[in-house]
Formats: sequence, structure tokens, C-alpha cells
Amino acid sequence: MSNTKEFKPTDWGSPEMQARTRRRYRRDRNFKAMGVSAVLLAALFLFLLIGKIARDGAMGFLQTSIDIDVTFSEEILGDPRAMSAEAFEDHVRQANMIRLLDEALTTEFPEVTSRRDRRSLIRMISGGAREQLRTMVLETPAIVGSTRTVRLLAADDIDQLRKGKIDAAEEEANRKVKDKELAWYRKLDEEGRVSLNFHTRFFTSGDSRDPELAGIWGATMGSALTLVVTLFIAFPVGVLTAIYLEEFAPQNRLTDIIEININNLAAVPSIVFGLLGLAVFLGVMHLPRSAPVVGGLTLALMTLPTIIISARASIKAVPPSIRDAARGLGASPMQVVFHHVVPLAMPGILTGTIIGMAQALGETAPLLMIGMVAFIVDIPGGFTDAATALPVQIFLWADSPERAFVEKTSAAILVLLTFLIAMNGLAIWLRQKFERQW
Amino acid sequence: MTSAAIFLTLILLAIIAFVTVRQRSLSAVSGDTSKLHSLPRHYGYYAAVCALIPGLLIFIVWLVFGKNIIEGLVISGLPEGLHSQYMEQATLVLNRIRLAVENPVSGEKHPDILAAAQHFHSLYVKGIWATFALALSSALAGLLFANFKTSPDFRARNSFERVLTVLLILSSVIAIITTLGIVASLLFESLRFFQEVSVVDFVFGLHWSPQTALRSDQVAAAGAFGAVPLFAGTLLISFLAMMVAGPIGLLSAVYLTQYSSSRTRKIAKPLLEVLAGVPTVVYGFFAALTVAPLFRDFGDLIGVEIASESALAAGFVMGIMIIPFVSSLSDDAITAVPKSLKDGSLALGATRSETIVSVILPAALPGIVGAFLLAISRAVGETMIVVMAAGMQPNLTANPFEAVTTVTVQIVALLTGDQEFDSAKTLSAFALGLALFLSTMVLNIFALRIVRKYREVYD
Amino acid sequence: MLDMATKVDPMTDSRTPKMAAKDVNVFYGDNHAVKGISLDLYRDEVTSLIGPSGCGKSTFLRCLNRMNDTVATCRVEGNITLDGDDIYDPKIDVVQLRARVGMVFQKPNPFPKSIYDNIAYGPRIHGLARERTDLDEIVAVSLEKAGLWNEVKDRLDSPGTALSGGQQQRLCIARAIAVNPEVILMDEPCSALDPIATAKVEALIDELKGRYAIIIVTHSMQQAARISQKTAFFHMGDLVEHGDTTQIFTSPKQERTRDYITGRFG
Repeated sequence: MSNTKEFKPTDWGSPEMQARTRRRYRRDRNFKAMGVSAVLLAALFLFLLIGKIARDGAMGFLQTSIDIDVTFSEEILGDPRAMSAEAFEDHVRQANMIRLLDEALTTEFPEVTSRRDRRSLIRMISGGAREQLRTMVLETPAIVGSTRTVRLLAADDIDQLRKGKIDAAEEEANRKVKDKELAWYRKLDEEGRVSLNFHTRFFTSGDSRDPELAGIWGATMGSALTLVVTLFIAFPVGVLTAIYLEEFAPQNRLTDIIEININNLAAVPSIVFGLLGLAVFLGVMHLPRSAPVVGGLTLALMTLPTIIISARASIKAVPPSIRDAARGLGASPMQVVFHHVVPLAMPGILTGTIIGMAQALGETAPLLMIGMVAFIVDIPGGFTDAATALPVQIFLWADSPERAFVEKTSAAILVLLTFLIAMNGLAIWLRQKFERQW
Repeated sequence: MTSAAIFLTLILLAIIAFVTVRQRSLSAVSGDTSKLHSLPRHYGYYAAVCALIPGLLIFIVWLVFGKNIIEGLVISGLPEGLHSQYMEQATLVLNRIRLAVENPVSGEKHPDILAAAQHFHSLYVKGIWATFALALSSALAGLLFANFKTSPDFRARNSFERVLTVLLILSSVIAIITTLGIVASLLFESLRFFQEVSVVDFVFGLHWSPQTALRSDQVAAAGAFGAVPLFAGTLLISFLAMMVAGPIGLLSAVYLTQYSSSRTRKIAKPLLEVLAGVPTVVYGFFAALTVAPLFRDFGDLIGVEIASESALAAGFVMGIMIIPFVSSLSDDAITAVPKSLKDGSLALGATRSETIVSVILPAALPGIVGAFLLAISRAVGETMIVVMAAGMQPNLTANPFEAVTTVTVQIVALLTGDQEFDSAKTLSAFALGLALFLSTMVLNIFALRIVRKYREVYD
Repeated sequence: MLDMATKVDPMTDSRTPKMAAKDVNVFYGDNHAVKGISLDLYRDEVTSLIGPSGCGKSTFLRCLNRMNDTVATCRVEGNITLDGDDIYDPKIDVVQLRARVGMVFQKPNPFPKSIYDNIAYGPRIHGLARERTDLDEIVAVSLEKAGLWNEVKDRLDSPGTALSGGQQQRLCIARAIAVNPEVILMDEPCSALDPIATAKVEALIDELKGRYAIIIVTHSMQQAARISQKTAFFHMGDLVEHGDTTQIFTSPKQERTRDYITGRFG
């Protein structure tokens, strides 16, 4: 060994070696810069996504209204003093509210005489105005005969004009709001009749073909009903499975298969669960199409792996000493688990369940498969009513050609994201509040 | 009588069973619970279970199979004329009968159908009453049985816990049943599809146009079910997504584990996770409304024609969605590399980047490969982004600027809106679903196996 | 067994220290781990750092090639020189420093690469070999110096992790030698090895003595006595006593040293 060759001492100070070292450092800095830019890029995408939607969506919570002086003429509505309440109600229900509107607009714009122009004029007001006027009359019949300033929803194009989404400088042919309508709008605006208000209807009504009338309450109820079913199935089944696998399952082939199975199910594309729901719940069991109960069942199967995996983790985190202590007091294995282990693991189990529920709330594809994608105006009241869900509503609106639906879609997304943030926030809070160091 | 009423009655009976048997156990020892083998409430639980389970089983059987059996009876009971006339369209008749049942004023005119609907209705009413009677009597029998068994020596707790154990096992079997259900339903419908279209045509055919199948009078009546353009489209978009998510996700993981301070890591990691929490429908909206037009306009600017539903836009946004999967799984893989290897390299005078590239990443490679495979499987199965941002037109191309369609897009297109069961068009969606399920499952099993093997090396 | 003779070669600069620490303090956050240590380390000697666990000897060792830089909460004060240059000077290049001051760790940590690539890794990153034949020679010579050549020359392509524990540690020493260091730091290099492997590594350290300044942290006093010419005793972050190994083990000046080497604590 002593006759082995010696290395020449390395000349670290040589210009060559110095240059090489500089080059190596430069490469290291570049590499670090690449890492930083990757993180920044991901963050930038997130901000672009949220920012864009927040900007569009903020406007979706506002809606343009036009104040119109409406004369509630007896001629059209009938005289409440001259007939019975029922007869008046019947009369009002059949009354032509468009005429009421037409007359009011004629007073406002006496110069507009041609039938076509008057029809365009009426079309500046939302189709929902008829229902609004009718409700007013039915609520206070005494209004008949008087003239009131009524705040009516503007049609979606006028709304977009007010919000600056339609460019008045654009050539008329390319513009949804024509020159004439623009002039009328300007006149109304100068008189201070146009206003932008918070749009409560967005939160209280169901879907509609008209953007200014469409709301998310129906979809929200549909999501809520669906999630209730999901929770009632996935939570008990998930927790019981986790208990069995962690506490009772023998180490055998069946247990192995169940475990591998759960891991695989967690990664099955959600649309495949939709196909399962379509084939089994609708095809074999003939449960009603488009119903929250089917959606809930489908999503329950989908969230099951998430809940099982997190529940197992938190059951495993309960130290064996607790089990030994309970067993030492003569508790049966079941009592050890249900009196001691599960209560201690409950915060973790709940955290996992909430995260699973948040996943289910945001899921769209399986619901498309089981027909929760229909145009449904009514608010669902039960588990078997036809319903849609928030993300599906977003999907439907995103597909609508009307420009005004863009901001409605964004606004609905903001509502959905708010729910998701609240659920995840709750999960984080739970985890931190009950986090235990054993 | 409705299903809900049966269910509520059963629950009520279970409660009654609990209360009476608990009371009986108490009175059997005249209040001295120490003489009982188990606590009084265990006798109660046992009785409730005895009452509930048989009735519930009967009820579930009715729920799942009741309507099917009745429909079978109604169809076979149809008059001969109608039977043969519509034999091949049994489902059509069934649908008309269903409609007539659900909506008596639906305007159904055919007297035979109306009669069948009547028949259905009367059978249904009979069935539900029979279920009610059966469920109720079995519940009562259970109650009596438990009541009879209640004595101070009866080991009520052990018996009740045996029932609980069975319940636990049944719960865990649901996961397997789900998988079996997926496999069975996909396979069953796919087999029916493959009776009409050969497997070879499906897997290797280059032409996909299921629409033509509807027009029976036309030359291409059979439709074309060559799924290669769909597979190619799926692969193209997944590839584009991985081109975005792969480098960004991996480099983020490297930066956050090797370079950043723990404070930066604490902020940046949850930020990346937020990307995973955004619902896919939101990404779809973003892709269709913002990214796709942006790419198209940019293409116009530099003189490249980019379709407004380009694969690029869908793939790009899907890539953003997948970044957190790649980064958090790679993060796990990198942190699993023992610190001693990193120290060994640094002590030889390697820079951090040299250490990462030549020591840490090679050591973490299996974990990273697993992460990428899982991410690819995610991309392949992703639905909403492509439904909203990719095209509907099958297009066999590798050009990311063109519009392509994917397996998931076609499944959605085939199964939403008006559909007829049993047509090759509808069934083909299940064949596509089967292909999707099998490919993602193979990817997952493979990835999980790699990751698990790799963990064993360092644990 | 004790090779106490310290040969002084007038031709080498053996009387100027190769590395010198002056008043070195190390903090981990608020924890004062090393307290005001001054110690000279000479080129042709093996220096042992001994002391009970947690006494700061490993921490001090890791200051000598700035491995503590990788710990975010660690702060080093004082002055450490290599050939008279302050190694904590911002102008000093840590990459070159670590090439000149090599390190061998407690647990053998071969890279999950072939034996050849394990050795070639350092020369490659530092650009020490112009051609493949140069690299082959560096690998062969390093393995020979580490006494491993005869055992592995036929399987240079097999993974380094497939070797036995003692072979792995000698591979790590060969890996350190391959970048032609001037100082080799060893952090309890034998603590994970069986007695036979330990004997081989000790013999190797004896072989290497004189060519490199070797500083070895050990928890075994017998080992320190067997292989080192100088010994420094650390206790609770203080350098209690240092000097010739024979002197420390036969007539320690400090009571704490005496208590430790007689086994009264530690």
C-alpha cells in the first residue's frame, strides 16, 4: 500500500479551477432560480385564476334596475273594490302586465310610437317585471288606480351596458344594444332612473334562462340534499370500515385485498363512479333520475376511500397504552374501541370527513352521468325531487351563450369557493384545536 | 303505504323492542342488575338488532329488486300482439308504461299500455303491502325471539357485539362491493356493446362517429366506433398537462425541500395545496373562457392558427390543476431520501444543485416516477376541464394547436341529454369507461407498488 | 500498540498548524453548544476529539468544513483558519474548502450508485480528471489507498450499497481521498462497525497518517489511544484539556479529564 502513487496537489488557485468553480456556482444559482420561478409560477396561476373569477364574479352580485313610473290602471287590472277578493285575484292573474309596462314606457318615451320600437323598449326591462308587478298588485290591491315609481330589473343586455361590458363605441352591427336603445338608456340614466343594486334574487331563486332572474338557491339546496345523503352513508360506513381494519381485522388475504382495494378506489376517476351510479342506481334499482338521493349515493362511494384512509390514520394515532388501560379494566374489545379509541380519534375522523365532503361538494362529472344536469327552475324540497348541484349549475351557466351569464357563473363559483374555504377552514380549526401530542 | 313509512315503522319497532326487553331484563332480576350477565341496555340493544335486521333486509330486497320483478311480470303479461310487435323494443314499451304510471294524465292513448300501467300499479301496491307485512312480522318475530331469550344468564353483550362485528365486516366489504359493482356494470354493458361492435374495431379503429348509428336507413348505419382518436386525444392532453405540471411540480418540490427557509415552505406548501382544492369545473370555466381565447389571440399575433378549443389550452389548465399532485408526492419522495446521502455529497464539496441532480433525485427517482404515474392517471381520468375546454370532434393529431376530443368528453357527450338505453351509441360510453377504468387502475397499482417498494428501501 | 513517536520532519511545515481554531463559539438557536475553543491541528498528526456524548466535539468537527452551514439555526463565531486563511471569510469558497477538508461520517453513506461512480463523483464535480483514463486511475489509486482495491476491483460496477458495513466505510474514506483533500475529518467512523471492520479502518487511518491531517471524533478512549498522536478532551462545550495523547492518558492535568478517562463519568 505504501508504494501507491501519490496525487499531485490540486491547484485550487489556478485560473482554470477558479473559472470552473464560478461556473459551478452559477449553475447552482440558475437551478435555484428555476425552483423559485416554479413556485412563483404556480402561485401566479392561482392568483390569476382566483383574481379573474373574483373580478368577474363581484359584478354578478350586482344587478341593474330601472325606476319606472307605473300607473296601475283599473282598466287592465280590474277594480278590487268592485269585485270579490278571489275574482280580483283571478283577474290580476290573467291580466296582461305587458300592457301595464307598455303604457308606463309610453308615458316615459312619448316619442316612441312604432310597434317595433315599443317592443324593443319593453325588452329593455327584464321578463321578470311582469311577475314583480303582479305580486305588487296582489299584495296591496289598494295600489290599483295610483301611479307609483317601481324599481324594475333591467334586461341582461342593459345590465351589461350599465356595467361597461358592452362598449357603446363599438359599431352598431356588432353591438347587442342598438343605437336607439342606447339613446333611451342614456335618457333614463340622465333622469337618474338607472341604478346598480345588490342582487338578493341571485341567492334566493332557482335557475332561469334569463341571467337577471337566475339564482343559485335551487342548486345550493340540491347540493345540500346530496351532501346529506353522502354524509349519512359515507361517514358511518367509512368509520366502521376504518375501525374494523385497524382494530379487528386479522392479517389475512381478505384484509390485504380490502386494503389494496381502498387505495385503488381512491384513485378511480370520478366519472367512473358516475357510470356505476347510472348502471346500478338508475339502471338496476330504478331510483329516480336527477335526484339528490342518487347523487348522494354515488358521491358517498366516491368519498368513502378518503374517509376510510383518514379515519384509519387517526385511529392508528391513538396510543396502544390507552387500549391497554381500558382492557386492564375489563372492557370488551368492542367497548375498548367504542368507549375509548373512537372518541379520542374523533377530531381526526371529522377532519377527514369534512375534507371528503368538500371534495364531494366540488365534484361535477359523476352528477352529469346520473342526470343532475337538467334545467330545473323549482327549488328541490326532498331527496327524490329533480335537482341540480352548485358545480353542475356552474357548468350549465358556463355553457350558456348569454354574456351576462359569465359574471353569474363567476359569482356562483365565488359562492362555491366560499363554502369550500369554510369547510376546509373548519377542518383546519378542528385539527389544531384537538391536536394532541401523545 | 310508501317505502318511507315501512322504514319508519321498522325503526319504531326497534325502539319498542329496546325499551320492552330492557325493562323485561330488569324485572327478571327485580331491579338487581348485578345478577344480570350484561347491562340492561345490552339486552335492549340485542332486541333492537333482532327486530331491525330481518325487517330491514326484506325492505332492502324490495327496494332493489321490487320494481324490476314487477316490470318483468308486466312485460310478460302484455297481450300477444303488443308483445311481439315491440319485442325488440321492450324498453320502449316499458318507458311508456312507466310514464303512464307516474303521470296518469300523460296522454298515453294505447289501451294495452294503459292496461299494463294499471296492472303495474296494482302489482306495485300488492308488492309494497306484502313487503310491509313481511317486514313487520319478521321484526315482531325478532322482538319475540329476543324477549324469549332474555334471562339473567343470557350473554346479551357478547351476542350484541357479535352482531356489531358482522356490521364492521360488512362495512369494509362495501369497498370491495363498490369495485365489483364498477367492474360488473362496466363489463356487462361493454359486453353488450362488443356484441355489436368487435373489440378489434373498438381498440384499433381510427374512425369515431357514434352519431351515425341512429340513422338506420343510411349506409354507415352501424356507426363507427374506432376509439383510437379518443385515446390519442386523451394522451395528447395528458402529455401537455404533464409538460406543465411535471417540471413546475418537481422543481417546486426541489426548491421547497432543498433551498427554501422553513418559513417560505410553510407559506408556499398550503398555497400549492389550494390549487388541488379548486373544483375542476372552475378550472374548466377558466380554461374555456380565459386561457383558450388568450392562446388563440396569441396564435393570431404570431401567425399560428390555434383552435379556440385547442388541446393546448385544456392541457395547460389541466397541468395547473395537477401541479400540487406532482409537487406534494415528489416532496414526500425527496424528503424520504436519508440526510446522510446529502451530507456525504456536500462534504465532498458538491454544490447544492450538483447534490440534488446527481445524488438526491436519482435516489428519489422511484418515488418521483410513482408521483408522475399517479399524476398521469389523474390527467387521463379528468373530465370537467376537457368537457368544457376541449373539442367534441374526434381528431387524430399530435398538433397541440388543434382541437381534439378525449375519452371522458365522449362519455359525457354520449350519456347526457336524451339517450336511449341499449343503443350501441349509449353502450359505447361504458366500453370507454371500461378502458378508462382499466388504464387508470393499471397506472395506480403500478405507481403504488413502486412507491411502496421504494419506501421499504429507506425505512 | 501505541505508536507515540511524533516524527518531526524539518522539510514539512509541520510546526505551523494546518488548521487553527481561535475562540470558536457555536450556537444552535439559543443553545451554546461549543464555548470558546482554541485548538491547533497539525499536518502530520492524527488528532482525537474525545468526551461524553453531547459535549460539542462533533459540532466542532463540523465547523472545520462548514458542514454546519446546512443547519439553518446554527451560528458560528470566532476564527478558524486553513493554511492561515480564515475559512469563514466570505471570500472563501465553501465548495473548494470541503474538497480540501474531506469528511467521513458516523454511518457509512455510500451513494446508491456503483462503486466506481461513488469514487468518481468527487473528481467529476471538481474537474480533477481530464480524461477517462485519469479518472480510472484516480478511482484505482483511491481504492488502493483505502485498502479496498483488492476486494472490489472485479466488481466496480456493482452498487456501493451492496458492500458490507466495513467495506462501505472504507469506500466512503476512498471517496473522500479521491478529491485529494489536505485534511480528513472523521465523525465516529467506527461506531457502526463490528470489531474486525473497526480494526481494518483503524489500520487504514494509521496508513493515511502523515499524508493528511486527520481529525477523528471518537467515543472510544482506547481507539483514541491506539491511533492518535494528539488528543483533545471536550466536556459540556468546553475544551478541557489537549495535548499529546500519552500525556492526556497517563498524566492528565485537569481533574475532569482524569475523572473521564478513569471512567467516573461519560
